[in-house]
Amino acid sequence: MSSNRLADAASAANRFGLGAKPGTLAGLHDARGALAKEARDGAVNAGAFAGLADGAAYLAEENRYVLDRRMRRREAAAANASGKDATGENAIQAAIGGFRRQFGPKLLAEAGARWQVALAAPLGFAERIVRFWSNHFAVSVDKRQALLYAAPMEREAIRPHAFGRFEDLLVAVESHPAMLRYLDNQGSIGPSSRIGMTRAGQGLIGTNASEAGSAAVSPDTAPRRRRGLNENLAREILELHTLGVDGGYMQADVTELAQAITGWSVRGPRDDRIAGAFGSGMHADPKTGFVFREYAHEPAARSILRRRYAEEGIEQGRRVLADLAVHPATAKHLSFKLARHFVADDPPPALVRRMAVAFLDSGGDLRELYLALLRSDEAWSGDARKFRTPDDFLLAALRALGTEQVPDVRMAGALLARLGQPVFMPRSPAGFPDTAASWIGPDALLKRIQVAGELSSRASRVLAPGRIAGDALGPHLDAATSQAIARAESPRQGLGLLLASPRFQWRI
Amino acid sequence: MASRRDVLKLIAAGAVALTVWPRIAASATAAPPLLLVVMLRGGLDGLHALPPLGDAAWGGLRGALPFAPGDPKAKPLPIDRDFALHPSLAYASQLYRQKALLPVVAVAPPYQGRSHFEAQDCVENGSAHPNGAPDGWMNRCVASLHGEQGLAIVTAMPLIMRGAANVSTWSPPLPDGIDAQLLQRLDTLYAEDPRLAEAYARAVAESHEEGAGEAGDAGRGNLPDAGNRRAGAAGGLAAMMAAAGRFMARKDGAQIAFVEDSGWDTHAGEVAALQRKLGQLDAGLQGVHDALGAAWDRAAIAVVTEFGRTAKVNGTGGTDHGTGGIAFLAGGAIAGGRIAGRWPGLSAQDLNEGRDLHATTDLRALFKGLLKDHLGVAGAALDAAVFPGSAAVRPMAGLVRT
Repeated sequence: MSSNRLADAASAANRFGLGAKPGTLAGLHDARGALAKEARDGAVNAGAFAGLADGAAYLAEENRYVLDRRMRRREAAAANASGKDATGENAIQAAIGGFRRQFGPKLLAEAGARWQVALAAPLGFAERIVRFWSNHFAVSVDKRQALLYAAPMEREAIRPHAFGRFEDLLVAVESHPAMLRYLDNQGSIGPSSRIGMTRAGQGLIGTNASEAGSAAVSPDTAPRRRRGLNENLAREILELHTLGVDGGYMQADVTELAQAITGWSVRGPRDDRIAGAFGSGMHADPKTGFVFREYAHEPAARSILRRRYAEEGIEQGRRVLADLAVHPATAKHLSFKLARHFVADDPPPALVRRMAVAFLDSGGDLRELYLALLRSDEAWSGDARKFRTPDDFLLAALRALGTEQVPDVRMAGALLARLGQPVFMPRSPAGFPDTAASWIGPDALLKRIQVAGELSSRASRVLAPGRIAGDALGPHLDAATSQAIARAESPRQGLGLLLASPRFQWRI
Repeated sequence: MASRRDVLKLIAAGAVALTVWPRIAASATAAPPLLLVVMLRGGLDGLHALPPLGDAAWGGLRGALPFAPGDPKAKPLPIDRDFALHPSLAYASQLYRQKALLPVVAVAPPYQGRSHFEAQDCVENGSAHPNGAPDGWMNRCVASLHGEQGLAIVTAMPLIMRGAANVSTWSPPLPDGIDAQLLQRLDTLYAEDPRLAEAYARAVAESHEEGAGEAGDAGRGNLPDAGNRRAGAAGGLAAMMAAAGRFMARKDGAQIAFVEDSGWDTHAGEVAALQRKLGQLDAGLQGVHDALGAAWDRAAIAVVTEFGRTAKVNGTGGTDHGTGGIAFLAGGAIAGGRIAGRWPGLSAQDLNEGRDLHATTDLRALFKGLLKDHLGVAGAALDAAVFPGSAAVRPMAGLVRT
């Protein structure tokens, strides 16, 4: 294999993919072709997610849990009031099992399946793309209402659409319970909608399941909360998901978009009761749990970015998203982020422009965007490199060791948290940062070296660290690193040296 | 790629500093003034944390929003004729009575958009624009105090501390120790990597640092009441503030430190969220007070956020992005026990764009006041280097005790 081919293979596996496995580089004769094939075919993972619940099933279970807890609490309050019994919150939790006990194993199963797919992928370019979009459309599960839905959103909204039209991806994400709950759109109500105009309707739709309960269990005694518009999701759609912060929109566009997507909501614990009062006009997605509440939708035409959108119920919001998806500012924003993710912290402007043109010319086809990146010389330049984020690092280390399955999902999650990248928890809708400066710090580096030592000590068998190093880094294994590994006092320490070495921290 | 020699040349030229804790240039004389910046990301609602009960418009806008979920009787703690503190800020109100707490009202970075990330970038880069500087003002402040060091209590270096000067990050350590031999063998490899050499050298120095055990405990132990639920988890705000206090109290500790927290973006369910979050902040103030010990007297703590929130409550029991926000200064060095800043008013005609509080104080003026009067940073450096192009923004006077 020529040196160019070797370099291409290493970049394909390490910079574009999730990390070379033993044997990957030697067997990769047409690296660019292999990536292009993944860009066209998408993320193939038959069976890995079988058995995991869909969003609607999680919603139904969480709603049942909320109703159950509420009922017990009411019973306890009644018993307390009549002096019969003093049942505390602990007893209620014990009786119904507690949130963690009920849902914890499911969250672990989700994380385990996600890692399994990432470890199994031969190169992992398509898997990296999936993770890129998950971070672009970040949902942070430290918001309890979003906790159960981040993983289903990746499976149901991102995977099926990340290799198709951006419009479809955008609509799928913005109408997923994860996003609607994370950015507070589920309880956003048009002031002139049917429910907004009805006094009795005020307070019927909650911002989250537990809150919804407190407002409506006893409508006569509970303070009636005025509900209305929430512009959080609309703002982040414009600022983070599509146009970008310099994309030329104004505060008025944010408010208009917020009104256009009023009624985009999530099936709640009291929807049967609401349906009784406002029966007609509830459109539901039986798989994700999304519901469109026509009676909460602001019934008027909207003007966004100087374009008029007639009132068409759920179609109004969809039409806005369709236009935003192919806006030149969106093309630029997405191209920049993608180039930054795959090529360099400061990607070449010519590359970004070329990608944006390809995206717009294809009417917003993401495959064309990826192919434009892969066809560009800049993407294969010897200077291109990215610092591995903690998630990249952990995956690359496990893949280099030939690990097929994360042995201890709980521990892997804890390691990532200590390295500063807890799973699905970027703590901000902007997602985790994607530049080296954010991840290179003395303390962060020390922890990473510590984790490298930990991983090598847990590796089931270590035979030839020198060969593992060659398989992982290919032509980027330099003489000094190679020598240090060869001189290690034990194969295990040699492996630790490889994983902790500076070369291993870069996607080159 | 640069060779090891190039890196050494850089170090010799002073572009890269390789030490962490040992303060080489600092004089060993008087104990230095300390500055801790606590950034609350997401936009703290100042109208809920420090309700302006004396503003006639407040009741109409906020009167229906209780201070504790399900308890309309929970009352804020009055500290002044016009202002009160949220009931979760009990320790802060004690500090106020001791004249060690100074709330600054209607303050914001010089940025009028309502994007979290742009506003935070402004707070951190110290300029008037989100892209106004590539590094952070706290880093440039460290640079201006030759021989001093900065410390960020985070897992990833935040913009506010990024730059050429000597700063490091710290977070509670992993339970297991580090293999010293592995470190030693990595030494020459990292020296060859121009991007990582400096961080690595400092990481090694840190791992050798005397008293690392004590530092290791800083994230967990010695909170006033470790079992107190207000204090939150080991990685929570209260523990991080206490850890910062501990590092700063040490003989050669950081003079300038930074702690951050997220989750202050209260678009929905604000009452419950802020009851919890402000409780953590209050526990953090007590934690940093107790950790600093005698050093409290020379400490200034600035609790800041990127913007305030809408005057009106939104449709989901929360508030949306606004403009004029709030800052709390605390510490033995602060001239507190009063309210600082000019109150712009909440009446309909006083509101900014009819929706939120005007900002009457540039957050940079507050920072500059602290740097000038507390840390002794020279005016020329403040106007040009630390806060570039800010000559027109006068430092706030009278923030610290004289």
